[in-house]
Amino acid sequence: MTQFLRKNLILILTLAAFLAVFIAAGQGMERKDFVITLLRGLSVGSLTFLVASGFSLIFGLLDVLNLAHGTLFMIGAYLGWTVYVRPDTFVDVLTPLALLIGGFTLSALWTKLSALLPASARTNKIFPWALLLVAALLAFTVITRYPISSWDTENFSQAPGSYSLMLDQGAPLAPPAVSFDKINPALALLGLLLASSLGAFGLSLFGQQTQSPKLTVKEFIPFGLLALIGFGAFAANDALTAFLTGLSNNWLFLIALLVATLSGIGLGALMESTLIRPLYSRPIYQLMLTLGMSAIGIEVVRAIWGRPEFVMPKPDIFSGSGQGCPATTLAAWWDKNCSIVLLFEGRVRVYNEIFIPLVGILVLIAVWILLQRTRLGMVIRAGVQDREMVEALGINVRRVFTLVFALGVGLAALGGILAAPSMGLSNAMGESLLLNALIALAIGGLTSYPGAALGSLLVGLLQQFMIKYGQIGIAIPFTEIIFKPTPPIVPASTVLLMVIILLLMPNGLLGKKE
Amino acid sequence: MDYILDVQSIHTFIGQYHILQGVDVQVPRGSITALLGRNGAGKTTTLKSILGLTPPREGKVTFDGRELNGMRSFDIAALGIGFVPEHRAIFRDLSVEENLKIAERRKGDLDRKREMIFSLFPDLKRLIGLPGTSLSGGQQQMLAIARALVPDNRLLLIDEPSEGLAPVIIEHMMDAIRQLSKESTVVLVEQNFLVASQLAETYVIIEEGRSVTSGKMSDLKQDKATIHRYLGAA
Amino acid sequence: MNSLAAIFRQNRASLLTLLGLVLLPFIAGMFEGASPAAVWVNAAGTSKFIQGLAIEIFILALYALSFDLIFGITGLLSFGHSMFFSVGAYLTGILLKSFGLNLWQTIGVVFLAAIAQAVLFGIVLPRVKGITFALVTLGMASVFHILVMSRELGDYTGADVGLQGVIVPDFISPANERLRFYFVALAVMVLAYLLYQRFVASPTGRVCVAIRENEGRARMLGYNTFSFKFAALLLSSITAAFAGTLHCLYQPIVSPNTASMGFTVTALLIVLLGGVGTLNGALVGALVYRLLDFGLRRYIGESASFINGAIYVAFVLFIPYGIVGTWMLKSFEIKKGWERLVGMVKK
Repeated sequence: MTQFLRKNLILILTLAAFLAVFIAAGQGMERKDFVITLLRGLSVGSLTFLVASGFSLIFGLLDVLNLAHGTLFMIGAYLGWTVYVRPDTFVDVLTPLALLIGGFTLSALWTKLSALLPASARTNKIFPWALLLVAALLAFTVITRYPISSWDTENFSQAPGSYSLMLDQGAPLAPPAVSFDKINPALALLGLLLASSLGAFGLSLFGQQTQSPKLTVKEFIPFGLLALIGFGAFAANDALTAFLTGLSNNWLFLIALLVATLSGIGLGALMESTLIRPLYSRPIYQLMLTLGMSAIGIEVVRAIWGRPEFVMPKPDIFSGSGQGCPATTLAAWWDKNCSIVLLFEGRVRVYNEIFIPLVGILVLIAVWILLQRTRLGMVIRAGVQDREMVEALGINVRRVFTLVFALGVGLAALGGILAAPSMGLSNAMGESLLLNALIALAIGGLTSYPGAALGSLLVGLLQQFMIKYGQIGIAIPFTEIIFKPTPPIVPASTVLLMVIILLLMPNGLLGKKE
Repeated sequence: MDYILDVQSIHTFIGQYHILQGVDVQVPRGSITALLGRNGAGKTTTLKSILGLTPPREGKVTFDGRELNGMRSFDIAALGIGFVPEHRAIFRDLSVEENLKIAERRKGDLDRKREMIFSLFPDLKRLIGLPGTSLSGGQQQMLAIARALVPDNRLLLIDEPSEGLAPVIIEHMMDAIRQLSKESTVVLVEQNFLVASQLAETYVIIEEGRSVTSGKMSDLKQDKATIHRYLGAA
Repeated sequence: MNSLAAIFRQNRASLLTLLGLVLLPFIAGMFEGASPAAVWVNAAGTSKFIQGLAIEIFILALYALSFDLIFGITGLLSFGHSMFFSVGAYLTGILLKSFGLNLWQTIGVVFLAAIAQAVLFGIVLPRVKGITFALVTLGMASVFHILVMSRELGDYTGADVGLQGVIVPDFISPANERLRFYFVALAVMVLAYLLYQRFVASPTGRVCVAIRENEGRARMLGYNTFSFKFAALLLSSITAAFAGTLHCLYQPIVSPNTASMGFTVTALLIVLLGGVGTLNGALVGALVYRLLDFGLRRYIGESASFINGAIYVAFVLFIPYGIVGTWMLKSFEIKKGWERLVGMVKK
């Protein structure tokens, strides 16, 4: 016990200092302010944690500083918004997307086929590129003619912001109808499948295959599923749209959360397996790659959703008002779905200050269980320490890498859609959060999962208390002066905290000593 | 002769450095083979090249009739090669039990081998719930070997098993290695010639990235000149 | 005399490049039909414009060079490098504008400030390593960025608008004496480059490289690695601060962006583009970076950063070690390829 105390003396002292500051901070304001600030800190901390935990898992296992993580957070928000505000667009996009991905899931088949090609040096060099080019052209031709009901960023009344606003007012805009008038539907579907197959076949020709995999029914299951989704969404387009539009927006919000997370996972897997993988031997260049990806991601979002910021209405369960609101009891809240509840006389926004922290805690526990109780988690924990040894045990580390990257990006995307109703959507929403997450990780320990949680919490609390004190001012003891932290001090305070902690404990609060 | 492992003149580069410049190792099935040589001669790199952790640029590695060149290292290991690295590489964040469990290649590997492992290393039984960090050097070495025994490995590559251990524990370790060599072939890298000469039946001497001589250990013990030349005073 | 010829032969490419850069303003003028004499008196025209672009590139190159020294040569990843540059830039502007110092006094103070900064980074240097050093330096630079942006100091720094209205001494005015400014910037860059080359080739520089490769081993060999790292930091800080001074003199506004993390990333990108640890790479990288940026903004406009990002990704995938780095790796193969080609023609 004494040994434990001595070993962790600095940590314990630091935590004690935090506690003291925290209590002191609580004394300086009214109780209702304290409760609200605490909850807001938790909320910001939770969002930071969603970005930080994924970032730290990726950095710990793969040694990749994924500077595109903030952008992926933002993409999650925009994707989720689309499902939530424009389910019709979501349904329209499903078919081409599923079919385009479809071909790439048949890698075993393409490998088998590529073995049948005659081996000639010259054709082997040109042929794959030609295939890719044809595939890209075909995909481009079809996609540009494929009818997708969408918004128009150039036209104000059809802009994403207007759709959001009208939905929030309870009078959703009716999008203009689209139909197959530029391309024959059968031709479009066929073209998409063909493009995807050609592209995947072309790609498979690049890699030199030493062993040919067995073709079993199992290999065709992902393709079958995707084809089912693709053709299903095509055949039942109208019915599906009607169903989603008719759904209560609470359910729709849940679907948006799911879709954003899943697309994040998919995007992460794609990014790792195509772009990050060739760079494991050149760590510094990963910085350049992820920075480049970040710039590309922001521009793509700007091209599709436009530059202006817009909001996402909160689901009904968190936006009730009128008689009986703000609620004072849980039962009253459940009855009226009030957007605000009174807690110790403070007006607490249910979505921002209760729901977000709740999700944050749930994710914290879920990932903790994954890490501690599953074989995958065991491999991750081992791999963070010694990748080579894990490989030497005969474990396919590359697959674990892809999984972890996908998981990390999925968490960021979940954070994005979760933040959207409270923060609104903007092209820059990811950057500040990534910086927050980096600071949180430095404070907590870069590759430590509990460290990510602790650091995020500290950053969130510190920021919110600073903002609150910026409004009410700090009375400096023994003097008459009331010091009001100005807005720039908010980021500066977290940065200073980070620098102090790193100088005291170079590995962060909970980081492992090397 | 029936060789389970056949390494033919491999050349390995680490970064721009040409570490292995032609190493041949032939390992008879069921034997213990020692790789001998001075510090930095390339013994560890040879083991890593066999496993594909530092893939050789030239030469050929054959394991049980199967060519390993170009295979990914986890696929190589999955063919049935166990690796006990130089610094044991016990996973700190995992408990002793998890350290064994992670080596499973099929479900239930550990349960089938548990008895055998505990009979080889009775100490582990009492340590099983502890975190990997709390073990002493000797215990870590036992755990590292035990980890290589969990799946059905036909070949064990053991790097410096006696390094930094007390004589009593070395004795114990040697017994264990003898025991397990009844089930699988062992390749041993060993600085301590006394240990190597008692354990191994055949040897390969590596000098500056080249295998210079090999043969039966019983012959080498008589050959003071060779020992002196390549291994220093022994 | 003989050795002079030998030096010329060995550095033919560098000397030719230098000659090209000296003649550049006049050659650029010729395309427009402007005589060298017109260029000499700083007549408005293409040449003046090109000189301006080149000056920006020289300043960027100087800045990237200083980053390559600590990052590429010594292996210290600093995310606070923009502070080295922006302290030079802001200090120059503030001293000239608000304190009425003359240029030489200003340069003296900037020099001292650069040393002070290196000491500041040096204090944390022994405590934190690797990525933690990067984060601590990022923190210090962010604090400086926040200071620059704060309204309280706005009278001096111009807050988020940037520092403007600096009166530049007439003899080096970028508007009226641009050609002189061009040669000054060129000379500073060339001198810094030569100095850096000497530094890297010197025993001190070699130890720096050794520290990058394996710090533990360098320490075991008996070197006090801290003092070598500090030497590199000091040289880098002074160079970057002078780049900042030139920037302040040349640009009408010192933007607070030069103090942001984004500007450190610029240095990192330039060095990665050119090739880490090659010195030449920083110069080539700065050229490519600025021209890309300029070209894309001019001809593509709003979505320039998409193309920029795509180019970086393509670079990383297809030119794996930067322009100079990859060239150095390939030059043997390229030479062989040429020989083969020439052999085929001769046959």
